[in-house]
Amino acid sequence: MGLAPTLQAMLTSPGWREVVVLGGGQEPGPSLVGSRILMDVAGHPSPMAGELLVVLLSADHTDWRIDALISRASAAGAAAVLFAGVEPLGRGAQLLADRLQLPVLGSPDPLAAHEYLNRVTTEPDVVRADLVLRAVTELRRADADLASVLRTTSAVLERAVTLAGSDGGTLAGEPLEPSERPALAAALPAVPVAWAAPYRVDLPNGAVLIAVSVLGAGPVCWLVARLPGVVPAEVAAVPAVLTVVAPAVGQRLALRRLELERDARQRTSLLGELLHGEPSEATRRRAVDLGWQLDGWHTGIRIGADGQVDVAGRRTDVVEAFDAEGLQAVVVEQGEGWSAWITAASEPTATQVQQQAAAIRRVQRHLVQTVDTYVGVGRVQPGPSGIAVTLAEAGDAASLARGRPETGRFLHVDRLGLAQLLLAWTRTDTFQPAARALLAPIEGQPGDLVGTLAVYLDTESSLAETAAVLGIHRNTVSARITKIQQLLGVDLANPNERLALHLACRTARD
Amino acid sequence: MTTVIRGHDIEALVVGVTLLGSGGGGDSRAFGRILQRRLGSGDLELLDASDVGHGYLTPVGVVGATSVLTEKLPSGSEFAAAVHAVSRWTGHAVSGLMSLEAGGLNGLSALVGAVDLGLPFVDADLMGRALPRLDQFTWAVAGRSLTPCALSEPGGEVIVVDHIDPAGLERAVRSFVVHTGGWAVLALAPTPAAAATADAVNGSLARALALGRAHANLPVTAAPADVAEALGGRLLGGGRVDEVARYGVRPHGPGGAFGRGSVCVVDGSTRAVIRIEAENEYLMAMVDGEPVVTTPDLVCVLDLRTLQPIAVDAIRTGDEVLVLALPGPDWWRHRDRISHVGPRAFGLTCEPLLLEAS
Repeated sequence: MGLAPTLQAMLTSPGWREVVVLGGGQEPGPSLVGSRILMDVAGHPSPMAGELLVVLLSADHTDWRIDALISRASAAGAAAVLFAGVEPLGRGAQLLADRLQLPVLGSPDPLAAHEYLNRVTTEPDVVRADLVLRAVTELRRADADLASVLRTTSAVLERAVTLAGSDGGTLAGEPLEPSERPALAAALPAVPVAWAAPYRVDLPNGAVLIAVSVLGAGPVCWLVARLPGVVPAEVAAVPAVLTVVAPAVGQRLALRRLELERDARQRTSLLGELLHGEPSEATRRRAVDLGWQLDGWHTGIRIGADGQVDVAGRRTDVVEAFDAEGLQAVVVEQGEGWSAWITAASEPTATQVQQQAAAIRRVQRHLVQTVDTYVGVGRVQPGPSGIAVTLAEAGDAASLARGRPETGRFLHVDRLGLAQLLLAWTRTDTFQPAARALLAPIEGQPGDLVGTLAVYLDTESSLAETAAVLGIHRNTVSARITKIQQLLGVDLANPNERLALHLACRTARD
Repeated sequence: MTTVIRGHDIEALVVGVTLLGSGGGGDSRAFGRILQRRLGSGDLELLDASDVGHGYLTPVGVVGATSVLTEKLPSGSEFAAAVHAVSRWTGHAVSGLMSLEAGGLNGLSALVGAVDLGLPFVDADLMGRALPRLDQFTWAVAGRSLTPCALSEPGGEVIVVDHIDPAGLERAVRSFVVHTGGWAVLALAPTPAAAATADAVNGSLARALALGRAHANLPVTAAPADVAEALGGRLLGGGRVDEVARYGVRPHGPGGAFGRGSVCVVDGSTRAVIRIEAENEYLMAMVDGEPVVTTPDLVCVLDLRTLQPIAVDAIRTGDEVLVLALPGPDWWRHRDRISHVGPRAFGLTCEPLLLEAS
């Protein structure tokens, strides 16, 4: 009985793809312990407990002998009957099948259905050996890419095959059902061991997920096959197939990683050359090969990443984030982060620069979902050497931005240029006490008024942006600013007073 | 014992011959009305073979598409024309008539012929029920020739056929009726009474009358089991007709000439599934997939409310019906004869299943 699949599970199995229920259907149906052949509808089945009766010559489903055979099969103890052909049953046969609670099936190829059922019920080892051999043979023909391996495995098993992360998120192949992800994630260990047995996850809906870990370069991922029903022979065979496939997947992943690293190194070294003086002919050619435009107006961007970040692996995310904002950026892995620049054919106007900065800011917000970054943007610089200049500015801006959460860890050198000079002066001993005195009325008031004022001035008096940076409501910002003006007795519309306050804020916070 | 038919018996006789028709044999009510009018206040005796002594008997009846009878009415002279033609061909005077078929309209047509021709009627026939083919005449099965014989149709055309086997005669009759009026009267050769009735089913009309009278005496509230008992048969079930499927002509061998159909009835109380296979007649009844009754026994479908028999071509999905099996003529229960009228003769690969001999 251990190998007997239910009728419902068999109906979802690859060998029974063409089998349909003609009558007497029920869920989950009886267990099928085997299959027995009857030549034609006039035959008399011998007693058979729990087996499927397959009738080879029975194409006319309205024939009275179909009714008679259903009756005889039920009396003989058959678990179900399978007729040749998929035409609907006559009304009498349908009513009879329902009455006797005997599932009646149809298939264009009853012999194949019979053989498949017999194999899964009596020769599970053959099923397993066959699948493994086919997987090995087919994999040899698979292309070098990962998708091809998954596709081939899926074709051999005739099941959905997925490469999933530890959280059940799909990395490649057919996406997992969102409702089935939590059960999978709960069953998988965070740190698998290489020799761990394949994991089997039984879902409440009767489906089974089989997961085998893929150990390669990079984080661990899982090769997951979804079986919609439990056919014991198949459940036993699939882990073996996945175990054979897993190293192939690991190899593809490693190859991909290798390619990624090679490209990254190439880009990094080329950028290194660009940053050191006027580029040579050879450097220019290599830049063209990579699709880099050296002439034109460049805006440098430095994206720094906190923590352990797979810079080469995550580059795609960064490129995609730029693409999503419509920015054609060259992104190069450099140190703990990425250097990027955007090239324009003509000098951008001030408005365009502002718009671009806003777009880059959105890129950063987008990236927050996967990487915690700090971003600096340089000024627009012309020509091949401009790349080095604007990237240097961007680098400076980024290191300033890193320690400044009140600006959303984003700084744009266009806004910084003069401020940086002033900033140097504000660090003097003469200015600092004056600055503290200036801000004394709002010091210690509820609602961090000094912080609010600093951000408000940093964001060019924008209530909306201040609210976004501080994560509070716009009206709260508005109320605080009104209160600040009252307490300090200043008019923030006055440029002189504003400058003084802005510098004082810097001192107070640094 | 002789039976006498009077005007008030006609209604019972119509029901009786319809029951013997097993769902086929054509609508006997038209001939019932004709017979009623012909008889008036008179009567008609159903004689035994011995009553006509050494005279010659001719079996007569209607062949062809009996359903056309309701549109193409008899002229009244068909029986006379056919009987005279065959009598003249053989040189034997006809001293009495018998019937070709006891089930359906031919149960009554020969009576009309006897009244019209003023000839005595012997209660003997060549089928004992309704059957679709000429080679299923008892004479043919017993090895007696069906020819010479004469056909006459309502337009007045007459043909005499001789020296031909039953299958050939079937072809000749079919081509004749197709090209004339759709139906014709067939009169077989006048045959000495003793020989004619020896190879025939005797007493079918007396049985039909008895069945009809038993049916007429049933109270309106009769339970299904009581109906079966009164008619001397077995109740197979009663309930709603779930489906009437008509499959058309199938290449089934000997039975393939007629359209096959099946009727599916779900028993109202047990929910048993009753399936009836039919061609021109109801041929076989199955209960829950198991064949229980086949030809030559009679499968009768009665309206549950009126208890009137329902013919194969009249049954519809949604009818509330009783399904009964009545014993067929004893003549066919012989093992040399049953193969001609058993289920295999209609392409149903099943052994004959008969009720216990009554």
